[in-house]
Amino acid sequence: MTQAVLDRPVARERAVPRRRRAGRGTGYLFLSPWLIGVLVLTIGPMIASLYLSFTDYDLFDAPRWVGLDNYATMFTRDDRFWHAAGVTARYVGLSVPLKLGLALAVAMLLNRARRGAGLYRSAFYAPSLLGASVSLALVWRAMFSTGGTADRVLAAFGLDTGGWVDQPQFALLAVIALAVWQFGAPMVIFLAGLKQIPKELYEAAELDGAGALRRFRSVTLPMLSPVLLFNLVLETIHAFQSFTGAFVVSSGRGGPSDSTLLYTLYLYQRGFTDFRMGFASAMAWVLLVVIGVLTALLFRGSRRWVFYAGEGR
Amino acid sequence: MTRRSWGWHLLLVLILLVLLYPVVWLVSASFKPAEEVLAGLSLLPSHATGDNYTQVFGGVAGYSVWHYFANSLVISIGAVIGNVLSCSLAAYAFARLHFRGRGPMFGFMLSTIMLPQHVVLIPQYVIFQKLGMVNTFWPLVLPKFLATDAFFVFLMVQFIRALPGELDEAATIDGCGPVRTFRYVIAPLLRPALITTAIFTFIWTWNDFFSQLIYLNDPAKFTLPLALQIFVDQTSQSAFGPMFAMSVLALLPIGLFFFAFQRYLVEGVATSGLKG
Amino acid sequence: MNGRFGVRAGLVAAVAVTLAGLVTGCGGGGAASGPTTIRFVWWGNEDRAKVTKAAVELFMKDNPDITVQTEYAAYDAYFQKLSTQVAGGASPDLVQLDRATLGEYQHRHVLEDLSSFVGKTIDVTGIAPALLAGGQIEGKQFAVPGGQTTQMLAYDPAVFTKAGVEPPSGPGKSWTWAQFGESLRKVAATGVAGTTDFGWAIDWFEVWLHQHGKQLYTGDGKLGFTAADLTEFWTLTGDLRAAKGVTAPEVTTKMDGSMPNSGLVTKRAGSEINYDSSLSAYLSSYGPGIKAAPLPTDGQASGMAAMPPVTFAVAQRSAHKDAAAKLLSFLVNNPEAGKLLGVARGLPPNTAIREQVCGAAQAATKAVCDYEKSVADRIGPATGLWPTGSAAVKRDFQRVYDDVIFGRTSVADGAARVVQTAQQSLGS
Repeated sequence: MTQAVLDRPVARERAVPRRRRAGRGTGYLFLSPWLIGVLVLTIGPMIASLYLSFTDYDLFDAPRWVGLDNYATMFTRDDRFWHAAGVTARYVGLSVPLKLGLALAVAMLLNRARRGAGLYRSAFYAPSLLGASVSLALVWRAMFSTGGTADRVLAAFGLDTGGWVDQPQFALLAVIALAVWQFGAPMVIFLAGLKQIPKELYEAAELDGAGALRRFRSVTLPMLSPVLLFNLVLETIHAFQSFTGAFVVSSGRGGPSDSTLLYTLYLYQRGFTDFRMGFASAMAWVLLVVIGVLTALLFRGSRRWVFYAGEGR
Repeated sequence: MTRRSWGWHLLLVLILLVLLYPVVWLVSASFKPAEEVLAGLSLLPSHATGDNYTQVFGGVAGYSVWHYFANSLVISIGAVIGNVLSCSLAAYAFARLHFRGRGPMFGFMLSTIMLPQHVVLIPQYVIFQKLGMVNTFWPLVLPKFLATDAFFVFLMVQFIRALPGELDEAATIDGCGPVRTFRYVIAPLLRPALITTAIFTFIWTWNDFFSQLIYLNDPAKFTLPLALQIFVDQTSQSAFGPMFAMSVLALLPIGLFFFAFQRYLVEGVATSGLKG
Repeated sequence: MNGRFGVRAGLVAAVAVTLAGLVTGCGGGGAASGPTTIRFVWWGNEDRAKVTKAAVELFMKDNPDITVQTEYAAYDAYFQKLSTQVAGGASPDLVQLDRATLGEYQHRHVLEDLSSFVGKTIDVTGIAPALLAGGQIEGKQFAVPGGQTTQMLAYDPAVFTKAGVEPPSGPGKSWTWAQFGESLRKVAATGVAGTTDFGWAIDWFEVWLHQHGKQLYTGDGKLGFTAADLTEFWTLTGDLRAAKGVTAPEVTTKMDGSMPNSGLVTKRAGSEINYDSSLSAYLSSYGPGIKAAPLPTDGQASGMAAMPPVTFAVAQRSAHKDAAAKLLSFLVNNPEAGKLLGVARGLPPNTAIREQVCGAAQAATKAVCDYEKSVADRIGPATGLWPTGSAAVKRDFQRVYDDVIFGRTSVADGAARVVQTAQQSLGS
């Protein structure tokens, strides 16, 4: 009967061949933009950049093969590379937990479902959109410079640090603050996750005599763990690739004294200012490997603490 | 009960005040006369002046603010169209169609979400350079037509998966092949995801400083964030006022978008973390 | 969302606009068949931009078939963008370079050999051969000097008078390092640093080296100094820093040659070492009182030299080299342009124009002319070209000094690191 239906001529449509073949062909048809994109803009460049990482390439002359030289220099002879790696590690290690912690805290606050929660949710989310812009980074730089808002507020509390962006000990903190300021996005995700936790679980726990902290530990966290993993992975990857904030706050130099020299910023300097594209490509691959390993570790470790409620996934 | 409710509101409002202070400060600083811009902690200017804006509207590097605004707009809208079209097509293929290699390809697509942009940056740059496309809008828009934003493909795949298969079957029974099923059944139902994609694409493209920085080279092609950067590079110390005025202008479209579509935005973000 | 019609119409409109935008955005930018359009870029502050644009307007009036688009930025940003532009194949036609970058860009085949233009489109007869040499590499003219400058100490007399000190300003006057240090300490006692910490720039280290009979780079492009030399220099600045005679690290770290970040202009220091081509910028950014004094020296050699602060070069990939060369020659040789440009890039390179400009000089121009005249007897000839890699050496020099002043590395270690990385950069 189906065959008869399919064979019925339909206006403006060619005769439909056997269903399975149509599916496969059409599948590739629908997929063609993505396929082209993946081949030309992803896989191709990935292979090319891997090749470039073994060359000395200044964009003007042809690439010159140097073998493992770039990697050797990077790991053994380049102080700034390790410095940038350290700065980035510090950046990720501080900004991600702070951001997620804040996001969870505010999400829990908003979960009390009072009137106006929707409005609050949107208001908290706004910085996430604005924060990635050059404009806000400029504001941040101004606010955290000597004599700026942050300086004065801290001075009012007796902490005389001077402008954060001009001091190597504090400059990175200003950049981290900018990142943490954008906690709205993970917060919204946490909120949605919190809303999915069945109230009965809390009620049951309360009946069993569990206090607020215990309920958080035994009900909230486990039920939220998939969302937590999602946020953790996404924010970590995002943090490793952070560029605009550090670039604008340090005026592209990564200073003062390389204290805000994030890995991506150093990569940009090497590639686009020093014309060492081969070296920059090598740096990019190292970043990819690090992110890949870290993500894999996060997922591997997640088996121990992530709990899936297991309903029809 | 009421007292606790007030306390809750108070706490949230306090946090929000601190959180939104930089934004408010930016707007107020843009209306302050030159001497006051960095000087005052107070949010209100002693006398609000539109001078900063006048200066900005006078143009940067020989072009008016509207020129840069238009550039940003063209690129962002181009990106939106590209993403909406290509990602929905790809998502439909992954979610509903059967073809060899679907599984591994889907897995690969997911992994590209974590691919750092920098790995493909330089070869992509070289490709566009050889094609003579550097210093045009193409490198910023063309990839969007090729579904390179795996995040949105994933979002839509999850969305389509949630649609009941009976709809597709009904369409097939009515004589629709995959193409018509997509066009008349799936796409309309996909609208919330499409809207989310459109909004996020617009905002992220508008803010995409790095790509604009490397691909756009002369002021005729600059976008608003880039123009803001040259403005900063060119002006003297006392010009923080105009710089902030320009910053406000650069953020305005995002702000407007946000107010208009906040519901979709926030819901879009929320659902992205949940399905699957 | 409106009804389907509204949305659809909106979509169509958006697509149309976007396509139109993309099409226009993807063209080269309005290169009509008749008039030629060239791009001219330079670094500098606002008044250098103002006078340069005025000169360019004049050129366009004289050459109605050539349109010149101009761009400018602060030094750091300028070179960041220039590299990217050149690499992306969107190189400007006429560029401004300095000693650190001329060799670099020539080495990467970015610049056109102007030898074929010299004597025809580009007239260099009015430029003293010693100055002209500042734009030559291996005997070929790759760039033309855009001015002549020498080093100076820009200072605010009011600040120094309050401290009871008077820097030597005028012909025949000079001071020793000890006297200089003493003055700085006296100024520091009044609450502001005597001068911006000058250890940040390799340029001032060069002056110090000359005073000791050494040089930055040898004739064959290798390093001309040792870590010990640099240690001595940075110890000198370190002692001054300890006595608060020079600016605190937070101020020094912002130095990038631009006025907004200058220690003197932001009133964190009473003076600043720079090239006198910046004097007019100081006068307009800070105030009319700024005067110039020579750098201190302990011996006969002042260490100061006459050199082009900037040179103009034509890009090899330019599609309109002839037009660019014409503009270059105009800027350097045209009397009207010379008058407009004044001393924004130091003394005019063309000797005849220089006499004209200095003869009729007022205010800022007069300050520069006077200063140059007062030190004319003691400045040496233009120093050798900086080799390829010198731009990276200059950047690393500042970076390491950042570490030194913030106490993250010792002077000796820092000096060793500079020498080490410099050798790597020069070797490339």
